[in-house]
Amino acid sequence: MVMSKRPIMQTLRTRELVIDIPGRPDGYPLDLNIEPGQIWGVLGPNGAGKTTLLHTIAGLRAPRSGSLLLGEQSTAAMKRRVLSQQLGLVFQDRQDGFPATVLETALIGRHPWLSPWQMESADDVAMAERALEALDVLHLKDRLVSTLSGGERQRVAIATLMTQAPHTWLLDEPTNHLDLHHQVAVMNLLTERAKAGNAIFMCLHDVNLAARWCDNILLMYPDGEACWGPAEHMLVPNALERLYNQSLATVEVDGAPFFVPKRG
Amino acid sequence: MSRPLLKPLLVLAFVSLASMVLSVGTGSVSVAPGQVLAVILGEGSNLQQTLVLELRLPRTLSAFATGGLLAVAGALMQVLLRNPLADPYVLGLSGGAAVGALLAMLAGLGGFLVSGSAFAGALLSTLMVFGLAHGTGSWTPSRLLLTGVVVAAGWGAVITLMLAISPTQRLPGMLYWLMGDVSYARTPWPALGLLALVCLLVAPLGRSLNVLARGPMQAAALGVAVRPLEWTIYILASLLTATAVTMAGSIGFVGLVVPHMLRLLLGNDQRLILPACAFAGGTLLVLADTLARIVIAPEQLPVGVITALLGVPTFLYLLYRSR
Amino acid sequence: MLIFPGHFSVRRLTAIAAALALWQAPVSAGEVCATDDAGQEVCLDQPASRIAALSPGATELVWAAGAGEKVVAVVSYSDYPEEAKEVTSVGSHTRMDLERLVELKPDLVIGWVTGNPAEQLDAIRDLGIPVFSIEPRTFEAVSGTIERLATLAGTEKAGFAEAERFRQGIAGLASEYQGAEPVPVFYQVWDEPLMTVSDEHLIGKVITLCGGVNVFGDLERLVPRISAEAVIGANPEAILAGGMGEENRHWLTRWKAFPGIEATRKDNLYFIPPSLVQRPTPRMLEGSTLFCEKLDDARAKR
Repeated sequence: MVMSKRPIMQTLRTRELVIDIPGRPDGYPLDLNIEPGQIWGVLGPNGAGKTTLLHTIAGLRAPRSGSLLLGEQSTAAMKRRVLSQQLGLVFQDRQDGFPATVLETALIGRHPWLSPWQMESADDVAMAERALEALDVLHLKDRLVSTLSGGERQRVAIATLMTQAPHTWLLDEPTNHLDLHHQVAVMNLLTERAKAGNAIFMCLHDVNLAARWCDNILLMYPDGEACWGPAEHMLVPNALERLYNQSLATVEVDGAPFFVPKRG
Repeated sequence: MSRPLLKPLLVLAFVSLASMVLSVGTGSVSVAPGQVLAVILGEGSNLQQTLVLELRLPRTLSAFATGGLLAVAGALMQVLLRNPLADPYVLGLSGGAAVGALLAMLAGLGGFLVSGSAFAGALLSTLMVFGLAHGTGSWTPSRLLLTGVVVAAGWGAVITLMLAISPTQRLPGMLYWLMGDVSYARTPWPALGLLALVCLLVAPLGRSLNVLARGPMQAAALGVAVRPLEWTIYILASLLTATAVTMAGSIGFVGLVVPHMLRLLLGNDQRLILPACAFAGGTLLVLADTLARIVIAPEQLPVGVITALLGVPTFLYLLYRSR
Repeated sequence: MLIFPGHFSVRRLTAIAAALALWQAPVSAGEVCATDDAGQEVCLDQPASRIAALSPGATELVWAAGAGEKVVAVVSYSDYPEEAKEVTSVGSHTRMDLERLVELKPDLVIGWVTGNPAEQLDAIRDLGIPVFSIEPRTFEAVSGTIERLATLAGTEKAGFAEAERFRQGIAGLASEYQGAEPVPVFYQVWDEPLMTVSDEHLIGKVITLCGGVNVFGDLERLVPRISAEAVIGANPEAILAGGMGEENRHWLTRWKAFPGIEATRKDNLYFIPPSLVQRPTPRMLEGSTLFCEKLDDARAKR
């Protein structure tokens, strides 16, 4: 297997994918085409299964039925290391791990690209540092991750994904814990990445972020129903009110819709 | 990044060698350094040759092997369980080995059969913990730990029972085995060979272990085959621990304190920590055993006493520093 | 098989036969051989001149064999005879300091079959030093061991004489107490945990020799651990105990709290200095004599 240093841009497809949530009946089968250059937002209330979907797409959980294809190849048939050269995931909840510095943490992103006997090269370190800089955490590179704030840790996690440099980026609520400035910075970064040809697929809890930054939307309803498509077709008040079980008022800001929960 | 790896390892290798030289040159009968050198070069009186080459050298090598095995096993356990307080015995390994050994002693067997029994007991304990912790779904570190602690307690009860009902004249032998004692170790070569082999086997897995140490989900997302790796590590750690315990009984603290200290000094790269543990653990036990041999000679202390006396304050200090 | 009047004579015949068996024609001049209690035959080119005794019992037996002057190494608690206290110690019998032992250049090591760690005895053998392991379990074995040690040390005259003295002494006691009235006896080996001996133990044989009946004689273990209740239930007529040292009699005081025991009621609580019965050495003759006297005292109180 040739160790290529650049990922091959392919479309990630789901075919009749039904995620497995123990105790819940089958949801609506998903047929998504996540193409390079697209920015997908996954919206839904808590418990709709957004995280489960992300983990299923990343190959960490088995679907109840259906398949995942990268280009023409089924991801289930791919070796884990090869898969992680194509897909990367930023988790919503981080597990407690062993102590490590920020730079060490970002560097593990290079793992799928290195053979077992290979050590990290200066290029790898440079990639990690560039990623840390893009997320504004380079100045913390020798600090232990456990000593950072929630927002800083979030940015380190995103930097790790950037170091991994897969072509499809999966992110679970990437703006959690981030202050306004960094939320915008991260979304700008993701937009840049999409322009460079990556595919971005992320769960968001804030419908307005999705409205502002995403070009495709997947709505996941608590009863298992789902619908997806271009943002302007999905982000309609009826659908959103049904999604969140909350009446909304719509405003337009800078040419994009803005949804405000109605009082009372 | 290979330069930072090599230098600390070379230093540790040198320290190991120095400690072994010290150990071979020290004993309850004094042999001057010049004479020790003469013996190594093939000369020296018969008595000196016997002392240095037939008594001290095998014992030093056995102590080094045992210490190295325990420290590496401890480091692997700590990564596997993602818990810096794990040691090689936390999953019931030494309890199983002890029961095996004591059963053999009760039956009046000796020597090799006791060692073989200890080994079998350790592996049986491994299988038990693995099997019990599996249950429904996967095992998590906390589940493994809990199962291991309970199994270890179970073995402890069996050991107490055996001590209570065994004939009086067997007791001293059993107690010394439980305390940990290098003086009964006969040949160091299998253990040394295993140590070298495992360090070699684990070298290409080092970075995967670094990734695994961040958490299994994260590791899987980065392409690590988590389950097979965890199995491999557990089996290797069990093998190392079983061998160490078979050779010298259950010596405490080496497997807990050495990896911990090295991580404080050298960071968290397992590619450095694991071989460093082999050297540092070996050195520690060689020095502890030297003390055990001479501090109240001709009375001989079990080395487990020395490692506990050294280990407890060291551990408390580490705990204090990490606050 | 001819039957002689009194088993006393059969014993003597057996002893002579045993002595003859040991006196094998040496292969070369000066060579001495004997078989130890682990079944190994040990042969020395010359009688031993530097002997290491790795248990207090072995130390006493080597002295009894007349080879006391040849002892160069002992282990801790080798306190009899007095001269043994002056000899260099090589540590505890459960973990010897092999370096010190080797430094003393012994040409014969006397080990204890179940008392010394097998690994260390093996290590000593591997160094080329002959190891003779003993573990006397009967009176005859005590004599036989003294004789074998004397053979290996070349001190046959003194050793055989001592062995014979012991043999005669025990035989004398045996014939004296042959028809004595049986006395139910409890012998206390240790206080916490409470331990006694079975009939198979050498001390059990002392009890039988003196016409006593060990109330725990038929227990399986050589040194069983029992409860105070068991003692009360067995209701011995005499209680004999050792103690923590040669003078410490306080183990007997616990039984004073149970007037239900016949031994307590009749005040048949006797102290026997432990080293006189707990080591398989010629001092057992002294100990057995004392033992028998105490049982006579109990009989007299009936």
